[in-house]
Amino acid sequence: MEGKILIVDDDRIIVESCKRVLQSSGVDITVTTSSVVAVDLIANNEYDVVITDIMMPEIDGFELIKKIKEVRPATGIVVITGYPNQQNIQDALQLGIIDYLPKPFTPNVLTDIVSKALDVAKKLKPFIPEPSVEIESKAKSEELKSIIDKYKNTPGSLITVLAQAQGVIGYLPPSVQRLIAKGLRVPVSEVHSVVSFYPYFTMKIRGKHNIKVCVGAACYAKRSNEILNRLKETLEFNDDHVTQDRLFSYEEVRCLGACGYAAVVEIDNDTHGAVEPEGVSTLLKQYN
Amino acid sequence: MAGLTIDELTRIKETYKDPSQGDTKYNVILCGGSGCRAKGSLKIKAAIEKQLEDKGNGSLISIHLTGCNGFCAQGPVMKVYPGGILYQSFKEQDVSAIVEEHFLNNRPVEKLLYKDNKDPKGKTTIASTQDIPFYKLQHQRVLKNRGFIDPDDINDYIGRDGYMALVKAVTLMEPHDILRSVKDSGLRGRGGGGFPTGMKWEIASKASGPKTDRWPVTQKFLICNAGPISRSIVEIDPHLIIEGMVIAARAMGATQGYIYVREPDNLFIVNRLNTTLKKARECGFIGENILNTGFDFDNALSMGAGTFICGEETAMLNSMEGKRGYPTSKPPYPATKGLWGYPTAVDNAETFANVPQIILHDPAWFRQLGTEDSPGTKIFTLTGEVNTNGLIEVDMGITFRSIVFDIGGGMKKKKTFKALSIGGSTGGFIPESLLDIRASYADVVNAGTIMGSGNLVVMDNNSCMVHTAMYAMEFATGESCGKCVPCRIGTKVMYDKLISITEGSGVMKDVETLHDLAAEVKRTSLCGFGQTNPLAVLTTIKYFTDEYESHIKDKWCKAGRCKKLCTFYIDQSVCTGCTSCARKCPQNAIAGEKKKPHEVDQALCVKCRSCYETCTFGAVKIGPRNMFESQEIKP
Repeated sequence: MEGKILIVDDDRIIVESCKRVLQSSGVDITVTTSSVVAVDLIANNEYDVVITDIMMPEIDGFELIKKIKEVRPATGIVVITGYPNQQNIQDALQLGIIDYLPKPFTPNVLTDIVSKALDVAKKLKPFIPEPSVEIESKAKSEELKSIIDKYKNTPGSLITVLAQAQGVIGYLPPSVQRLIAKGLRVPVSEVHSVVSFYPYFTMKIRGKHNIKVCVGAACYAKRSNEILNRLKETLEFNDDHVTQDRLFSYEEVRCLGACGYAAVVEIDNDTHGAVEPEGVSTLLKQYN
Repeated sequence: MAGLTIDELTRIKETYKDPSQGDTKYNVILCGGSGCRAKGSLKIKAAIEKQLEDKGNGSLISIHLTGCNGFCAQGPVMKVYPGGILYQSFKEQDVSAIVEEHFLNNRPVEKLLYKDNKDPKGKTTIASTQDIPFYKLQHQRVLKNRGFIDPDDINDYIGRDGYMALVKAVTLMEPHDILRSVKDSGLRGRGGGGFPTGMKWEIASKASGPKTDRWPVTQKFLICNAGPISRSIVEIDPHLIIEGMVIAARAMGATQGYIYVREPDNLFIVNRLNTTLKKARECGFIGENILNTGFDFDNALSMGAGTFICGEETAMLNSMEGKRGYPTSKPPYPATKGLWGYPTAVDNAETFANVPQIILHDPAWFRQLGTEDSPGTKIFTLTGEVNTNGLIEVDMGITFRSIVFDIGGGMKKKKTFKALSIGGSTGGFIPESLLDIRASYADVVNAGTIMGSGNLVVMDNNSCMVHTAMYAMEFATGESCGKCVPCRIGTKVMYDKLISITEGSGVMKDVETLHDLAAEVKRTSLCGFGQTNPLAVLTTIKYFTDEYESHIKDKWCKAGRCKKLCTFYIDQSVCTGCTSCARKCPQNAIAGEKKKPHEVDQALCVKCRSCYETCTFGAVKIGPRNMFESQEIKP
């Protein structure tokens, strides 16, 4: 296991035994028996996972969770509770915890839950600033509506509408797809089948700058796969091909039709020809 | 809108001045294509003008900025008339030399001229554009305006005989005359399949559509597929496509045309096409009552949303109807039942670009170039390990050897030819022994590949054909639309098999399986994509069997591309101890004292090839996998 963990419990025996169990697994552990100290620690350090008791003097667990969510929304939270009643767990789950540890627990259970929480927390990370879909589309729903109204009586305009909707919102989440389906009077499944078929459409938010690397035959011969590798090395992409700061995202495209300029990389709307793997970092500098 | 009358058109043509024969002492034609722009041609223009202005000679020259010249590898490209002196690969700093020497003292700047590849010392230069092999062997018919016109200026196009064919076709010729001309010319679809264009139009002209509320039964559509190479034509001479389309529409009786652009975010192409369409409409070349002849034909852009498969005509039609881009079985062919069920002729932009010259001249003139079976010229993009990359237009029937070694200027320094990829991402590969086949539909198909988009990639000895086939299959699995089982699953299985061969776990039986599978995918797939993507596997097995064998039997990738099947080592007898490889090695895996043979630490080596490419003595060699495990390391 790898990661940074904070354990908060007013019971010294619990924190010390947790520390002893987890120490051998290679995680970086900080423990405290005071929730006030914990608030300070969290403000000054970035933990992957915080394990906290619920019933504590001064600041209780719920309060602490709320504080963590405010300052470090990407931190994974695991709750230790001596009273695992339905209500308590429900409340904690609603605050967005990953898991809970019912007291008393064995060392095995502890390691299991911590390793799982670390995994989940890792996935949480990149998604911090993603704006909520509903708000996004609500603000732009007027624009979307006018697009739909314009084309609703033209058969075969689905792709045009989708392309324009994506232009307005930036991507095509399910809520937007439903709206378009309703407006054009086509089944949602058909809209989804079109969205999922064409690489131009995305259901996920792209980065501020979208990088397209051509991997067609001519570009491949000009080492576009090395360009791609270099890109992945230079910028750290998550599973959705977006960087942590959402500045860049990348996609592989198959032939941009500019084989004479191979290897071709398109960033936003600029086409860069004859790109060398060595030149990737200089190219990216223009977009910082 | 009134549009232009024929008289006005003639007047524009007469007042047009060839930029190479302007009034100034020197007439400069500077390439403003995207390649040259990226290399600073706009800055160069400003610098030349400023420097001459400072010297009080501002009126000595005129600079004409044109669209792509095709000599992109050598950009920026600047031609100076009289003489057609060509400057290439120069920078802003070199401008003062050109101004001082050439413009003020009439002495071309020797060091910035084109270097003759044939000269081993690389000292001989060729001054005049016509004498450069890259231009000399090309016959520019479709691209005759390349490097002379500003693609956004319709007057430039008209000045060079633009829209004259259209005038002839709508005023002097009946539809059947046009059909006969195109049929007699033997023009074949440049999109890859090579179907006779005139025949396609004739079928469409005779067919009729269903009865619907939207269109009359006589409705016909004409679609231009602006796929890969077409992008270059759009960039160089967009009006040519529009003119060709109007003539085609007149021949088959179409009233609505679409230009299908696969990548909607390719703003450069979209904007240029929009400007072109707008201009053509203003001048009355498209729209209602073209040139007051009562003939109506409108043209619009139609946007796709990516995917390679939409280059296939039936998939494209589905995409245009707002559906998934799935191909459908033929027949019915689009010419009888196409967009929305109406007769539709789908042609590539290059095909349309060939039409005006056939009408303007005559079919016999068109047949002067090319072969009996494939008349005319063909545009190719030439890239890879040759000295000159770029867009070329050659006679059909030229040998590929001539394309690679004359027009392409031969292999780059120290590289040897291994294979030529013909047909783009779904085409096949030919070895050197087949380079003498001619660039015609028949010969290319006989060699086991396709003309396809006309993309030529020259590969050198550093490329591994098994790895390349694997890459082609990766491409095919990614782009297969998934409709036909052979293509969807067959490509995946071939891909997996090729991965296992490149990773060293392949057996000889795999090659047989690959061959059978590829043949089957080719035979049973519905559309052109499924029928052509196995060609990469078939041709590599056919022409490069030895590479498959060495991968499987010797566990040895001789090109050093398959990282699990190679060992980089230094031949102690050749190494001079120059330390350049050790300095290049990112892993610090090479050790050795100066002037003494070096050695590669196999435990640290990541097989990045940088030592192999750096060594000028050929001391770094590539051995089979585990070559040091079975035998002792030589002291």
